[in-house]
Parts: sequence; C-alpha cells; structure tokens
Amino acid sequence: MNIVILGAGTVGNSIARSLCAQHHNVCLVDQSRTALAEIEERLDVGTVCGTACDPVALFQAGIQSADLCLALTDRDEVNIVGASVGKEMGAGRSVARVHQPTYLDTTTFDVADHFQLARLFSLEHLTALALARKIRVPGLLALENLAQGSVEVQEVSVQEDAKADGRRLDELDLPHEILVGLIAGNRGTVIPSADDVVTPEDRVTLIGRLGELDDVRRLFEHKPPPRQHVVIAGGGEIGFSLARILEHRLRFHVTLIESEEARCEFLSERLEMTTILIADATRRSEMEEARVGTADVFVAATGHDEDNIVCGVEAREMGCPRILTVVRRPDYDNVLTKLGIEQAVSPREVLGQEILAMLQSGPVISRRQIADGAAEVFELEVREGAAISQAPLKNLPLSRGLVAAVVRSSMIWVPGGADELKVGDVAIVLVQSDSIDAVLALFAPGNGD
Amino acid sequence: MKFAEFVCRDAVTTGMASSDRDGVIGELVDALVAAGAVSTDHRNSVLAATIAREELGTTGIGHGVAIPHAKHPAVKQVVATVGVSDQGIDFGSLDSRPTRVFFLLISPPDAPQDHLQALERISKHLQEELFREFLIQAQTCDAIHDVLDEADQANPD
Repeated sequence: MNIVILGAGTVGNSIARSLCAQHHNVCLVDQSRTALAEIEERLDVGTVCGTACDPVALFQAGIQSADLCLALTDRDEVNIVGASVGKEMGAGRSVARVHQPTYLDTTTFDVADHFQLARLFSLEHLTALALARKIRVPGLLALENLAQGSVEVQEVSVQEDAKADGRRLDELDLPHEILVGLIAGNRGTVIPSADDVVTPEDRVTLIGRLGELDDVRRLFEHKPPPRQHVVIAGGGEIGFSLARILEHRLRFHVTLIESEEARCEFLSERLEMTTILIADATRRSEMEEARVGTADVFVAATGHDEDNIVCGVEAREMGCPRILTVVRRPDYDNVLTKLGIEQAVSPREVLGQEILAMLQSGPVISRRQIADGAAEVFELEVREGAAISQAPLKNLPLSRGLVAAVVRSSMIWVPGGADELKVGDVAIVLVQSDSIDAVLALFAPGNGD
Repeated sequence: MKFAEFVCRDAVTTGMASSDRDGVIGELVDALVAAGAVSTDHRNSVLAATIAREELGTTGIGHGVAIPHAKHPAVKQVVATVGVSDQGIDFGSLDSRPTRVFFLLISPPDAPQDHLQALERISKHLQEELFREFLIQAQTCDAIHDVLDEADQANPD
C-alpha cells in the first residue's frame, strides 16, 4: 500500500518503521530536514520537506495515489487540515491524530465528518483503552473495543443456575441495544439465532454500547466477580480516560493520584465515582497513604517514563500484585526487564496496532480475529450500490454474520432487524470464519447495473 | 428552520422541580418521553449522551440560558423542548449566574445540517434580551408557545 505520513516526530517515525517492516510504500512529510535525513539513513522511505498542510508538499509525496494518509504531527489543527487536504487531493482514506477531547465529540459539531476524515483518534485515549483491556481479569476479558471504544465486546462464561441457564435467547428479553454475538461451547463456536439455548460452560460474546454490558452479564453469571481496586498514578489524558472507562464498570473501584491541585479539581468535576488524591506518586510516603500496597492493580500513567518506572517499582515492593506502566521510549525495554516490570504499555505500539488493523482494502476498514480464530470482527464501509444497503437487515442473507453496530456520522448504535444501512455508514460486523466471503460480498460496491 | 418545526409543544415545561444540572436535563428528557418524542427504552441513553456533552464544556452560555444538546439515533428528526426554572439552577454557566431557561435539543446522527440549523435558530434568538425575558417570565406552557410562535412570525426563515 502507498502511505503518506504527515509528521516525522517520534510517533510518525515509529509508525513509518513498522509500515516499512511490512513492505509498504511510505513517504514522510515534515518541516525539519534534519529529522527527515535521520530517518532516511535508517529506513527505506521517501521524504518531502514541507508543512503538513502544503498542497505542493503533499503532491510531491504522491498523495494522489496514496491509499492512506496519516496525520501524526503534534499539533491537532495541522493534522486535521493536512489530512483533509490530503483526502481531497486523492488519498483513499485520511486519519488524523488529535489531543483535545472536544475534537472527538460530535454532538455540537462533527469535525471528522466536516473534514472528510475516516477517523480522528487520540493517542492518549487509545493507550487508556489498551490499559483497560489488560486490567480486566482473564475470563472477564473484553475482546476488542471497536469503533474507538464506543462499542464493546465482552466474553462471559455461563454459570450453572444463572438466569440464562437453559433458556432460549429470545426468552432472555435482552435490551434493544445489546446483542449476543457468539456462543462457544460443546457445539463449537456459532453465531446464534433467537431459538438457541444457553447452557452452563458456554462462553457467550455480548455486544453493546460501552458500559451497558455489565447489567446483562448478570443474566449469565449470578455471582458477580469481586470488585477490584485500581490505583492510577497520573491524572493526565491517559489517566483521566482510563479512570473514565473503568469507573462506569461496577466491578472496579478507582483511585487516581495527581500532584497538581488545579488538575485534581478538573478531574473531580468529571469523574463521579473515582477517588481523587492530591499526591506525588514518586514519593513513597504518599503512595503508602494511597494504600497502593493493598490495591489489585497499579497503573503508572504520568507523563514521564522515568517517574512511571520508579513508582511502578515502588508499588511492586509495597505488595501490589499487578503493575502496568506506560513507557514511551523504546530503548527502556532492557531496563524494564531488569527491574522486573513485565507489563509496559507503549502508546506508539498501541497506535501501530491500530494502524496495522486499518491497512485493508475495498470496503474493509479493519479486521480482527476473535474466539481463537473461529470468527472475526470487521469494520466495513457501506458503499454505493452494495447489497447490504438495499433492504432491511432481517431480509438480507446474513447467515453466520451479524451487524453488531452501525456508525453513522460518528454516532454508534446497535441496530435491529428492521434497520437499513445507508451509503456512508460504517458497519461493525461479526462473521463466522467460514462465511467471510459470503458476508463481504454483501458489502461489495455495485457494478452500476 | 422555524421553532414550530422542531420544538415538541407537548414537552414544554414550566416551574421545573430539579435543582441541579443533571436533574434538569433528566426532567426535560422525561418530558420528551412523555410527549412520545423519545421512546422509554432510549431515555437513559439520551440522558447520558446529553450529560456527556455537558462534561466537555457547559452549554450554559450566560444571561440565564443554556442549550444542552446531543445526537442520538433514538430520534428520527430534530426535536427540542423548552424548560423554565423559577429559582434558577447552577449550570456551570459562563457568567457564573443561575440558569433559568433551557432548550434541550436532540438530533438524529444522520441529519447534521438540521442539527446545526436548529442550534443556530435557538442561539440567535437567545441573543435577544426581550426573547430571553419573555421566556424567563413565562408562567405557563401556552405563554412559551406564544413566545416561540411570535419569533417564528417575525423571522420566518
């Protein structure tokens, strides 16, 4: 694929490296000749010196034949405008990185839609999602957070004597916005129909809007899992996003440690259920006061790698059994191993995975395997003339495939059988592995006949 | 876009009972539910979406007015309602003064232009002091309907 990256900073640099490793054709645009020269020495990439919004520079970078334009500079507005110009000039899809959360909100104004961007993403939010995925204990594992985390997929094991035990799916009276995507058990893994019966030991995959699955889980497991205490050090964007993701789930109690008083005030206005402490996580005495030693999970998410490493080690010594650290610099890997920090999360690696999942062609935006490869989750674009847009979902031959969610103008919801997809929608589709071709055919653009 | 095209008359509320932000929004969403403009199933999720937007930054734009809004597939066209609180509510408003008049706007995700036009219509009229004052003083739903109808007649576009 041809990929143009705007911005040769640390993020652009690391993404370029992983794309090159996969033999994609990469061109980087940056204002700094020095930065470009350094990259050229190490990687087989094209480079153009210019600003990310400069049409001449974009033209020289081959934007017209690019499949993907990635705007990754450290300035939100430059990324948005550059990605938009790139899209209009001919890039297949454009995505832009932003820091400010209000750019991601669509209720007052939809920035991504206005600028024709396939996606706006925040590195901090993606990192928080990756941390959240690691925090859930195995068996309660959310399989994937799709569509930037607005739709959630969770796997739950059916316990004996739970309300759902021995009942048909249509008798469970599930809320309108929640679907059962897969049932895995003795029968193998199936995409169920309404008359399928749930039996103990089945693993059921639930799909719904973020935060709405916890109530439904209780139908399948009568004993709720014990509440976990999570301590997060650092109330920046990553810590804030993570607390927000976790606090809506009943099985977590979250304590957030932040040293700046004004930031604590901001956080306490926005995080209803989280305990917020004004404290310095690099001081042992203050960590002790926060009772880090008795916590189930400690997450070091300050803005400094060194602080994260130090307080991660302290937390481990105090007796906290699980430590997650955010580490940005790749050359700390060796140090981390020596210090015994096993679970480091690198924002750049998280973004790299996100972008690799997006390197698809045609209507496929991304695809990921679930349930040990028995099924996949696709993000699919509904294009002009595609069969999927020409009838209500219940009338389409979607056997062993399930439209789990629809993204329309950046809003996400779980559709019912009577709903119809429209051109421009993005559908999140669950497909049994043996039916992928049949389901993808429904999304193939029309031949104009 | 006229008020008459998107304000749900039956959901207009005077003498609001709530004393805090989330309560006010809840009361107005409930009014839309009671009027049949939003289904009961979607009540909580419409409320959550509206509160989530407030948390990014208040829609209390000062002079005693606020325009909480959200996009949600629960509605098929833009719907709004008006609520008036006698005592005024701390809505985190830009001028730090209590908020008395609330326009709650809910739009379907696939009609971004209608959403913007409705927001513009509401904001433009709320700039006018007389319009605001008439709403604040309105004791009955009929009085609010009259204020909106008059605005529509004066500015038919």
